[in-house]
Amino acid sequence: MSRGNRIKLSAMGKEQWKELFVKNAIYLVILAIIIFIIVREPAFLSLNVFRNILTQSAVRLILAFGVGGIIITQGTDLSLGRMVGFAAVITGSLLQRADYASRFYPDLSPLPLFVPLLISCAVIAFFSAINGFVVAKFKIHPFLATLGMMITLYGILSIYFASGAPGPQPIGGFDPRYTEFVIGETLGVPNLVIYAVIVSIVVWVLWNKTTFGKNLYAVGGNPEAAKVSGVNVTKTIVLVYVMAGVLYGIGGFLEAARIGSANNGTGYGYELDAIAACVVGGISFSGGIGKVSGAITGVLLFTIISYGMTFIGMEQYYQYIIKGVIIVAAVALDAKKYLKKT
Amino acid sequence: MKRSITSLVMMALLAISLVSLFVACEKKDDQIVIGANIYTFADNFMNGVMKPELESYAAGKGVRIEIVDSEGQQAKLNDQVDVFITRKVDVLVINLVDPAAAGTIIAKAKAAGIPLVLFNKEATERGVMASYDYVWYVGTNSAESGIIQGQMMVADWRANPTWDRNADGIVQYVLLKGEPGHPDAEARTVESVRAFVDAGLQVEQLALEADPNWSTQHGNDKMAAWLTSSFGNRIELVICNNDGMAFGAINALKAAGVSLPIYGVDALDQALTHIADGEMNGTVLNDGVNQSRAALDLAINAAMGLSVTEGTRWTLSTDGSKAVRVPYLPVTPSNYQEFRN
Repeated sequence: MSRGNRIKLSAMGKEQWKELFVKNAIYLVILAIIIFIIVREPAFLSLNVFRNILTQSAVRLILAFGVGGIIITQGTDLSLGRMVGFAAVITGSLLQRADYASRFYPDLSPLPLFVPLLISCAVIAFFSAINGFVVAKFKIHPFLATLGMMITLYGILSIYFASGAPGPQPIGGFDPRYTEFVIGETLGVPNLVIYAVIVSIVVWVLWNKTTFGKNLYAVGGNPEAAKVSGVNVTKTIVLVYVMAGVLYGIGGFLEAARIGSANNGTGYGYELDAIAACVVGGISFSGGIGKVSGAITGVLLFTIISYGMTFIGMEQYYQYIIKGVIIVAAVALDAKKYLKKT
Repeated sequence: MKRSITSLVMMALLAISLVSLFVACEKKDDQIVIGANIYTFADNFMNGVMKPELESYAAGKGVRIEIVDSEGQQAKLNDQVDVFITRKVDVLVINLVDPAAAGTIIAKAKAAGIPLVLFNKEATERGVMASYDYVWYVGTNSAESGIIQGQMMVADWRANPTWDRNADGIVQYVLLKGEPGHPDAEARTVESVRAFVDAGLQVEQLALEADPNWSTQHGNDKMAAWLTSSFGNRIELVICNNDGMAFGAINALKAAGVSLPIYGVDALDQALTHIADGEMNGTVLNDGVNQSRAALDLAINAAMGLSVTEGTRWTLSTDGSKAVRVPYLPVTPSNYQEFRN
């Protein structure tokens, strides 16, 4: 619930209450929707639903952190979905069961799980670094740079996908070690949730406790000022894209096992979900603003809403309307905050 | 300024909350609830034929069906199945996005003890249907649509010697394939051409394009490109693995002022209109109405704990695929009127 307001509760006048209300309006409405869902279907209030919502949020959150960092630098990343798809196809192709009928690499012996993870992170970080380099060096708007990458990467990933022994067939039949690692549980907690928590902590430290983090916000808030005060802007931007690439690599690795298969269409459209979650969580397109807690809130809100609306059996067309309105409303509130600042 | 934006936002949000209040429907306690999906509402056939029939047939049977849009993402479908399971639907009727992911969905249903009917996209992984006693499949025999399409094309080709435009005795064709890896796309591609070969005719494939969305736009763009290519004037036959792509191709043919024999699969209403207008030569009825009915008949029986085909006109295949296969029907200029609603 923190959108940067630190008002002392004890000394609040009418105006401040109003401001607090405006700043948190989106959360209040979403809270109302949740209450509405619970009233309609009290079964929504169960441990299983709670677990499912956290599990379904896990990969989305990791991806949102990736694009969230980029948004802080006034960027965006349309290639996210294809990057995740490529990572999913790479890990999937390297981690099929030995006895599966149509293996991508028929003679591949079982690999330790971290090998495909590292390969996928390295490959995706490489392509994402190209994005960062193009944005920082050639001053191409990130929307266009990553649009180009999104299309290019789809071609590259499709070529790789089609190059397997069975041809362009969906990659399934994963090694049980891999599936268990991703969708299993540890002490009753879904592994995916544990990974999301670990990634959240690492990202929090990177954003808040390192020079990289300081430079990230400085470059995002005002690139010129950052440059004057001695920050290496190019390096910072490339680094934030590399970090995003690593996160997409992890996300794709987890996603393939979570879904149970991967193909060249995997990940399609994920960029929009991730960007929307960041924006609703208060990571501003105007740059320099955004918190780890914001990304977490944004992702959870979207999962809760889409889970809840399906849960009460709402016609899907209405769900699109509600999601769309929430995104625009959140941005409207965000823009207002930004206008007031200047 | 500040106040007006705020109030506008609040009003909009209030409005959607109210809308959601009205649209969420009532549920009776003793009613069978079916959790269903369509792999993407963007698919003409699934959204235009199967979904309406699933809804109206369920209403006629007095059961409640909730159909969600998986938006072409298997991940979304997985999440939706989790939701259905936690809200304890009586049976799942699932249209896989990715046929290779059947194992994950079957495992979820099995863990929850909920019967599962897969429809329209058949599991590709061998043995996966045997992993759970309460999973069945409703679909077609993929190969049959291609065979019927091929037989229609061969008969028409023989009856129209002028179709062999360069009079070389070889059928020069282009093919719009649809989704790579989709069992229907793969089987139709092979079977429709095989019909010519089996009939002793020589064929030459000038081009083949695949599109994961089976889309009209793709059909249009590829056909337009082919017509302007080096082999554009050698094309004698356009084979489309679904009607949606054929519509696009017809559009491109019209734009270029060219008339070529063109065949689709699905027998959508628009295809019947094209056949009536002489713009399309044939299609194959992918009997979505009866597939929807079969899927629901099986699902309702499963939810009531009966043998799935009890009291229905469907029979399960005996080859271990646990499938009900609804037959395809040829639709031609001479019989298309029978298929008009």
